[in-house]
Amino acid sequence: MNNLTDFVLYDSLNNKISDGKFTGSIISKCEDKIIFSDNINISNSNEISISQGLIVGFEEKNEKITAFSKKSDFIWKNLEETPLEYSVLIPENIIEQYNQEQFTDDFPFTISLLHTAGLYLNDSISHINHLDFFKEEILKNPVSLIENGIIMADRVVISEIGDAVFYDSIIVGRDDKDEIKVSYETFVNVDDKNVLYIIILGIEELKV
Amino acid sequence: MLLFENKEQKLINTLKFIGSPFKKFVSTGEIKEDVGLVHSRQDFLQNIANIIERNENFILPIIGEVGLGKTHLYWALKHELYKYNIVYISLETVYKKFYYNTYAEFIENLGEKSEERVEPLRNMTKRLCNEWDAGERKFGFFQIADIEKVKNQAYKKWSRKFEDKGALMDVITAITAHQCDPYKKIEAERWLIGDLMDVRDLSRLNLKHDLRKRNIAFTMLKVLIENLKKESVLFIDDFERIISIRNPVYDTTKEIEEIEEVFDPRWFGTKKSPENYSSEKILDKILELHKIRGLRIIITLKSIDYLEDFKRRIENKNRKLLLMMKKPLIMSDFVEEDMFQFYKNNLDLFFASVKYKDYSKHFSTSFFPLNMDVLKYIFKEAKGNPREVIKYFIKIFNEIITSNEELEVILAKYQ
Repeated sequence: MNNLTDFVLYDSLNNKISDGKFTGSIISKCEDKIIFSDNINISNSNEISISQGLIVGFEEKNEKITAFSKKSDFIWKNLEETPLEYSVLIPENIIEQYNQEQFTDDFPFTISLLHTAGLYLNDSISHINHLDFFKEEILKNPVSLIENGIIMADRVVISEIGDAVFYDSIIVGRDDKDEIKVSYETFVNVDDKNVLYIIILGIEELKV
Repeated sequence: MLLFENKEQKLINTLKFIGSPFKKFVSTGEIKEDVGLVHSRQDFLQNIANIIERNENFILPIIGEVGLGKTHLYWALKHELYKYNIVYISLETVYKKFYYNTYAEFIENLGEKSEERVEPLRNMTKRLCNEWDAGERKFGFFQIADIEKVKNQAYKKWSRKFEDKGALMDVITAITAHQCDPYKKIEAERWLIGDLMDVRDLSRLNLKHDLRKRNIAFTMLKVLIENLKKESVLFIDDFERIISIRNPVYDTTKEIEEIEEVFDPRWFGTKKSPENYSSEKILDKILELHKIRGLRIIITLKSIDYLEDFKRRIENKNRKLLLMMKKPLIMSDFVEEDMFQFYKNNLDLFFASVKYKDYSKHFSTSFFPLNMDVLKYIFKEAKGNPREVIKYFIKIFNEIITSNEELEVILAKYQ
């Protein structure tokens, strides 16, 4: 992990907030959900808004827990109202590296899902685990919430022992001093015990 | 223990076992030539290389009699200018469907294996789509292209540069499908490499024609040449064939009668024969290539007369195109030293290829199995023409390999 703390736009835990209109590649953690957006606006009066962001997480639908991703606008009038934990503007050099290392679509054995689906959910009430089903497969566009952070990667491979290995990944998380850090990793091996969930984003839903 | 070895006899025995180092006397664009150019041709090659490096669009005529090594020059150029995409075409093979076949030759030339060929093509489509804003990141991260938007952007950027807008749109459709639509990628790649496609595949791509359609092939050729990372040189060998297409040789009236003409425009009063039409058409197509930015064209001709004829025909069509014509370079015969070098180079390469290391060790300064007198005799008889020289080499080496006569007896016939 590097020390890119300047890119933290909002951190509720450390009472850090930067006013202004920010554009680029922004990841926000909102309770147990993740918001991807190309903009965020933080006003002097601490109003936070995100326009046309993509929120990803699990929700209860017809008494069933399912993964979702939705395009939406978000406005929180003040800090008390906001469920945001943090918002981070990913440095451009990391994004460039992430883009360069993306697996070419020419590779024939990559599975892209049309619609967003949950691959794994570590929840005491509703446990989802499709890792065995996708063992040794390559899945495109995974997003994962882990113990101390978020992993978004170009692809995830489920290893022989059923662990998820993320390739070409951007990691946002807190260190042992609760500082937010951002890093790029070519691959990350994650024990499923530390994973809260893994969602595979559907390409049709990204097109919306 | 071996105390003495007759190395010369061993070499003869080796030759008898593996065959002659001289097998063919005609160079072709298909079979790779590794023998480099002789000393006196190096300056000639350098001249061509300088012209290629200092100019963008031109036609460079190279004049040389039959057998002087014009086709071999192509291989030497390919080795020398490896940073360029140098493509050989013979008018005989690309005569019909000129643009389609020329495009196929360009694709073939991109790499030896099929995977190596598609890689530059994939890089090109990726680069182009990025230029057309296909790399726009949705939600700040995801490169999901809006294909219609990308196509419109591409058309806006390119429409001025292309005459046939329909063909341009087809090419853009194929490129964007290849890069931005994972479900059509395979069909789009087949289309781009010039595969023949059936109606079902074409309809999946929303296209009506594959590259066999003339205007589409020309547009795609222009896109390929102007956007590949390597700059391109088109080497058209035996260009005078365009004239022989116009003037078919019918020796007797009987021969003319025997030729079955399906359609002859002269039946309808026009003075032009079908051959005239074909020749005019192919010339027009070649001249059309000047619209491709950065394409250098080298043509080889047997004599200056053919060049003058060609220039007259260009003048009749479009005087301005004459400005593209460079001063012709004239190829000369071998000098004696060239022939010695050529002979040694061939043997070195041949014995190295069969891993007979003794040759370079023991015969580096000798002409064995021939000798200086024989070589001088060959040079005199062949009048310095490389093809004739090679014919002599083939003849003598075949004799050495197949005959039971002593080497001295064989060589005596050629002194």
